[in-house]
Order: sequence, then structure tokens, then C-alpha cells
Amino acid sequence: MLTVVKNQILVCILSVKYNIMREMLNKVTFLMNVTFMILNNASILIQWFVLFRLREDIGGYTMREVMLLWGLTAASFGLSRVLFARVYSLPELIVSGKLDSYLVQPKNVLLSVMTSSTNISAIGDLLYGLILLAVCGLGVRGFLLSLLFVVTGMIILTAFALFLGSLAFWFVRVEMLSGEMVMGLISFATYPDGIFQGISRFLLYFIMPVGMIVYHPVHILVRFDAGMFFTVLGYACLLSVAATVVFYRGLRRYASSSLMEARM
Amino acid sequence: MRRQEKNAGANVGVLGKREKYIGRRYGLPGRKYGVIYRSVLMENLQYAANIALGFFGYFVFIFIFIKLWDYIYQTPGELIAGYSKEQMIWYVMMTEMMWFGSNAGSVGRQVKTDIRGGNIAYLMNKPYHYTLYILTKYTGEWSVRLPMYALLAVMIGTMMVGPVPGFKIVAVPVMAACIILGLTINAVFKICISLLSFWIEDASPFQWLYDKLLLVVGTIFPVEIFPQALQPFFKLTPIYTVCYGPAKLIVDFRPDKCVEILAAQVLYLAAGCGLMFFVYRKGVKKLYVNGG
Amino acid sequence: MQAISVKELEKTFRVRRKEKGMRGSVQAILRPQTEEVKAVRGVSFGVDEGEMLAFIGPNGAGKSTTIKMLTGILYPDGGRVEVLGIDPAKRRRQLAYQIGTVFGQKEQLWTHLTPYDNFRFFGAIYDIPEKETERRIGELTERFELGGFINTPVRNLSLGQRIRCEIVASLLHKPKVLFLDEPTIGLDPVVKESVRSLIKQMNREFNTTIFLTSHDVGDIEKLCKRIIIVNAGQIVLDDSMEHLKYHYLHKKIVEVKMQEETTFPQVEGITILKHKGTYARLEVDTAAIEIGDALRRINAQAVEDINISNVPLENIIMEIYKAEGKDAAS
Repeated sequence: MLTVVKNQILVCILSVKYNIMREMLNKVTFLMNVTFMILNNASILIQWFVLFRLREDIGGYTMREVMLLWGLTAASFGLSRVLFARVYSLPELIVSGKLDSYLVQPKNVLLSVMTSSTNISAIGDLLYGLILLAVCGLGVRGFLLSLLFVVTGMIILTAFALFLGSLAFWFVRVEMLSGEMVMGLISFATYPDGIFQGISRFLLYFIMPVGMIVYHPVHILVRFDAGMFFTVLGYACLLSVAATVVFYRGLRRYASSSLMEARM
Repeated sequence: MRRQEKNAGANVGVLGKREKYIGRRYGLPGRKYGVIYRSVLMENLQYAANIALGFFGYFVFIFIFIKLWDYIYQTPGELIAGYSKEQMIWYVMMTEMMWFGSNAGSVGRQVKTDIRGGNIAYLMNKPYHYTLYILTKYTGEWSVRLPMYALLAVMIGTMMVGPVPGFKIVAVPVMAACIILGLTINAVFKICISLLSFWIEDASPFQWLYDKLLLVVGTIFPVEIFPQALQPFFKLTPIYTVCYGPAKLIVDFRPDKCVEILAAQVLYLAAGCGLMFFVYRKGVKKLYVNGG
Repeated sequence: MQAISVKELEKTFRVRRKEKGMRGSVQAILRPQTEEVKAVRGVSFGVDEGEMLAFIGPNGAGKSTTIKMLTGILYPDGGRVEVLGIDPAKRRRQLAYQIGTVFGQKEQLWTHLTPYDNFRFFGAIYDIPEKETERRIGELTERFELGGFINTPVRNLSLGQRIRCEIVASLLHKPKVLFLDEPTIGLDPVVKESVRSLIKQMNREFNTTIFLTSHDVGDIEKLCKRIIIVNAGQIVLDDSMEHLKYHYLHKKIVEVKMQEETTFPQVEGITILKHKGTYARLEVDTAAIEIGDALRRINAQAVEDINISNVPLENIIMEIYKAEGKDAAS
């Protein structure tokens, strides 16, 4: 059992390594993508400087909290797409029948699929997020805690995308919708939760897991709360399990490319 | 999005042939672009349902901004940088409408893949100007998307914000012209950036920066919100003609401002096209020297 | 034990139907209509260990669907499959260690890595100890002559070199059954031949069971002793190659070149396919007339050149497709 897990992890690491090697073949493009992504993200800070000139707090956040928010979101989203970029194009793979080669390997299908590609600009997101977290003055313990939240955020985001993407086994149109949902989630995750009240607040905490990805972590980093902390951890585990179950249920309906042949 | 582009790409050959035939028959140089436009329009109409799925993203964005400005405006009737809350929200709704409504792949991704993939060699020998072909195609794309988003924006706006204060219905044709000019200027600049693919492998990082500049400075709030010292500088960037100008006219129409913006747009369009043709010619020359 | 046993296998796809044009598009959104397509309907067969089997049929006949159910890619809707005694749908991963797959149109290799690095990756996937991986790479490289390009990135290899690497990658873990789906598609004749001999060699040396689908009659003729033809989701023929030829070869093609223009007699069993000047091509139905009799009808003194041959296998298969297609449709 232990060797099985060890070998599986080894294969995943090899996959990610080869993915990154492939993207680094052209060094100029690689570096440009990474640096420009960092600049791209940094330019958003202008918006916040402007807004904070108008009011001292926005939704109960000061500039520092907004930086935490951005740091966590960018790093989680970046990490998720460095390691598991394929999750975000899962519907396309399902609909066009491109899971075959992972299904004939004696390894975990889900992990093989997820780790089969990477996104270079996501490295820029990840670095930008980490830089922001590092300059927020969290102290060593706070910084380590924020790294933990980057990981939980990454897990929740990935599981969310996996859950939505797996619906493509049932509904073809999910291909467009799941991308929109993920981007919508990221949009919410870059604004203070204090501006949302009532139903929207409920939605953000319980339907779209934005609350679990960033809002709770930001609050915990400002003032530690054990209850919230374990809620986040528990939620990450729960959503991962749920998403995995949905994926494997769907896999039974996988039609490979036979559907397209049948269509002709 | 991707599917849309793929199909559009497959049409290139057919279009090329058909349009060549018509060009010879009627001897009207502009007519071929009309045919291209119509074909792309018809094709995109079929994807209306897919386009509608993108409404979600627009809605999220507008929703966030409504909440954000709700929070920032503390007292009713307060003005920030000369804008009331309703004007501020309508401003972002209009700029985002233009953004989402013109967010098609041909000026960015398609030009890039045409050039990097070598497809350009076949396209540039067709009896049309490649950049104008792309521009026409892009126009066909937004002709479907923009009205859909406009409808959505008006619906969200009237339901969640209320009508634009002092909106003049007679000015609608001028506003439409201004929006169309703005989109076209934007497309020309985006094509210019994509044409950099003749020299570098991946021009998309520059694309991002340009987009972000428009987004941060001109889209999410009007330029008046920035410090006074920066204002003259903004007037020189494409922001003034691409997003600020049209949206400003919609939320706060004034005839003198209108003339000023339209004049600036015409100037910008001429300069942008000049730049586009120049960069394209340089790029093609480079291609001939070095091979594909 | 049989390497593969399939009983009453079934698979149905639900396909969305869309009418043409705008109205159709709108309708498809509001009231999606689906129809069932039975891709595989009640297929049963067995394959012995070490056998080389050709599994063929026209496009859309259900070949790929069947092969995908045998390898665990698709879940069957009905019937039973066992490959090496394992049910692919239930214990996919366990089966994967023992089978190899080559899909001619789909690449399994990383294109930016060298074949050598790719093989190492596959070694890791199949949990082969590193030393053992090295040993097998060495062995296979030598046997299949990959030495010249083992350290060249796959994207720089020719199609032929690439497919050889694909095959080697699928052999690294010494599979007991090898599934080949169109392995020679798009290859030139020389490479085709080398791929075929590679497969044959595999079968001879390791007693690997080969399950092959192909549209290339050459593959089938040169490799397989047994042939299964499917059409419209059903098996229409399961026979040995020899028997097939014997059974369907009651027709011979006789090509003659005469010294001067002659006419041929109208006899039952002889059809004139082509007659132009001194050249003629005749089809002789040996069920109606003995070949000797048929030859006697030709003026032997006047023959300048003669060539007697079988009807090509391709034509035989085409005829079976057509005949069975008609049956299935009616």
C-alpha cells in the first residue's frame, strides 16, 4: 500500500516536472509570461489606491487586508494551475474523448489527468501572491499560516473546478459554464467580503466557496479563530471527496471519442 | 469561445474564394469585406446561446461594483469626482458592456496563431488586406455580442440601479457611433500588438498589459477619479477614445464634449490604422527575408 | 486459459439530435432530443493466448468501442468481458499492468522529451524498478533499432520513428496482451513493413497475444491468422484467414495477352471484366466452371502472356462489408 502511494506521488512529481520543462523550452517566452503576469496583477493595486483615497476602509478592509486577500487568491489560483491546470480544461477533455490514454495506465486516472499540463502565467500569479503575503508583515508564524491557507485555497479551488468540470460527463454545455463560474469565483475572491450583505453573503460562503478560499483565511490571519480554522480545513477535505466521487461517477458515463464517431 | 474560433478559422478558405469571385465580378473593392462581414455574422448568430453563457461573468462583475459603490457612497446625492452613484455604476456597466461585448478572439488569439502557426503565408496572398480582413471579422463577431450585452446591461441597470439621470434618448445614435468607433480603435490597437508575433513568439503578455491598462484606468472608473496632475496624460492614451469617451457620453451627455470625443476618435482611428498597416508591412517583409 | 473472452457485449450511446439551422439550434436548447445509437450489440468471441487476431470493420462498426471496453476505457452496458481473467471495468488498474495499447492516432509520448526519458517515465508509471527499466530500454532499443534517435526529442522524430517509440513504450512492462488500434495509419510502405515485423517478432518471442484493428489489408494479411469482421455492432464473420480465403476464393482473375485480337466465348462462369485489343481480363467462377475447363476455352497457341491470380483480400472484405451492411440495414 505504502509503495503504491509512493509510486503514485513519484509519477505525479515527474509529470509536473516534465510539464514545466516543456514550458521552459523557450526561456524568453517563459520569463516574459511570468514577469508580465506579475506586472499585470500588480497594476490592480492602482485601483485600490484610488478607492482607499475615497474612504479609509472598504467593507471593513484596509489596504493591508486587501493585499492579504489578493495574495491568498493569486497564490492559490496560481498554485492550482501550476500543478493541476488540466482540471480547468476537463470538460473539453471529456467531451472530445481525450481521457483514453490516462485510462490505460495503471495509475490513478484523476491524478494523471490533473497533472498532465501546466500553465506558465500561473507561475507569475503564484509568485505575485507569495510576494504580497511576504510584504504584509505577518511575522514568521503568520506567514507560515498564510502558506497553509494557500494550500487549502488551492485544494478548494481545484475541487470546485473538478466538481463543475465533471458535470460535463452528463451535460455537454458545462464546457463554457464551468469556466465562467471559476472566473466569477475569482472575481468575488478579490473584493472584501464586507461589501456583500444578505443573500449574496450567504451565497459566497455556502454555495460558491469564496468564503472558505479567502474570506475566512483573511479573518483568521487578522485575528486567529480556531473554529474558523477547522471549518476551512474540514471544508477542503469534504469538497475534495465530493468532487472526486462526482468525477468517478461520471467516468462510468465516459464515451471516449465514440460519440463523435456515432454522430457521423 | 474556442469552438467559435475554430469554426471561424475553417471558413477562411471558403470566404477567400467567394470573395475573390465577387470582387472580380463587381469590381468594388469594399464589397468583399461586406461579404466577409455577413458570413461571420451569420456564423456567430448560431453561437448566441454560448455567448449568453458569458452573461454570468458580466453579471458578477457588475454586481460586485454595485455593492462596492453602495459601500463607498455614504450619503444620498453625494458626488465623487463629479459623478453621482448612479452615474458611477452606469459608467462601469457601459465600459464593461463594451469589454464583454467585444471580447472575441480574432484580434488577439487568431492573429497570433495565424502568424506563429504559419497560416499567414496563405492568408496574405489572398486578394484582401489581412488586417482589414481580421478587422471585418471582428466586427462581425461583436455585431452579435454587443447588442446582447447591451440588452442585458439595460435590464440589470433599470432593475438594480435605476435609469441614468438626465439621459437623452435623442443622443442615442451619436452614442452608438461613439461606441462603434471606440471598439474599432481598440481592435486596431489590439491587432497592432498581435502583429508583434512576427518578431516574438508570444505577444499575449503585451496584450494583457494593454487590457489591464484599459481596465484599471478607463473601465472600472472614470479618469476624473485620478489626481488632477495625471489628467492630460490620460487624454493622450487610447483610454480616452476607447472606453472613457463613449461611456462618459452615455452617463453625462453634453454636445461640446461629444464633438471633442468624436474628433479625437477619428484622429485616433487614422493614426491607429496607419500604425497597423506600417507594422504589418514590416512584419511581412521580415517574413519574406527569414522565411516562415 | 483464454487471453480474452467476451460474451454478449453491448454498448449504447445517447446522441443528441439537432435539426439544421437557427430553428434547430433554438429547439436543441429548449427541447433537446436524444436518440440511442447501439454501437455494439451482443458481441461474443474468445482469443487464445499467443493468438494474433484482426478485428476489422467499416468506420462506425463498433471496433473502437469494443477495443475500448476491452482495455477499460469504456464501461460496457451489458455482457461480460474478461481479459487475462480480469474484468476491465472493475479492476482497470490491475489489468493495465498486464496489457499494452497503441492507438495510432493518439500519442502517449511527451513530445518535448527524448524517447529515453519517455521510456523512463513509463517505467515509473508501471512501477518497474529503475535498474530493470534501464535493462529493458537497452534490450528494446537494440532489438527495434532505436539507437540512432533515442536521445532526440520526440517532436523532432519522423512519424515512423515516433510510432516505433510508441510501440516500444507500450512494451516496456512486457504486456501479455497488446491492443493495436490502426498502428500503421499514415505510414509509408517501408515503415509499415518494419512495424509489422516488429509486431510479429513480439508475438513470436514473448508469445504476446495481439489484438489488431486496421483498415490496411496488408496489416491483416501479413500478421493475422484469424479475422473477425464486425459491422453495425455485430460480428458478421469469425474465421481463420486461410478458411476465409478458401471459402471466398472461388473466383480467379485471369489476365491474358493474345498475339492477335480474338473474341472470347460466352460461357457460364466466365465474366469478361475488360477487353481491349489483344489484352483481356476475365473473372472465372470456379464453382460454375473448373479452372482447367476455362483455360481450354482460350486458344492456347495464340496466348502471348498469361497471369492467373486470386481476387485480392481487399475485394473480399469489401464484399462482406457490403453484403452484411445491406442485411443489417433491412
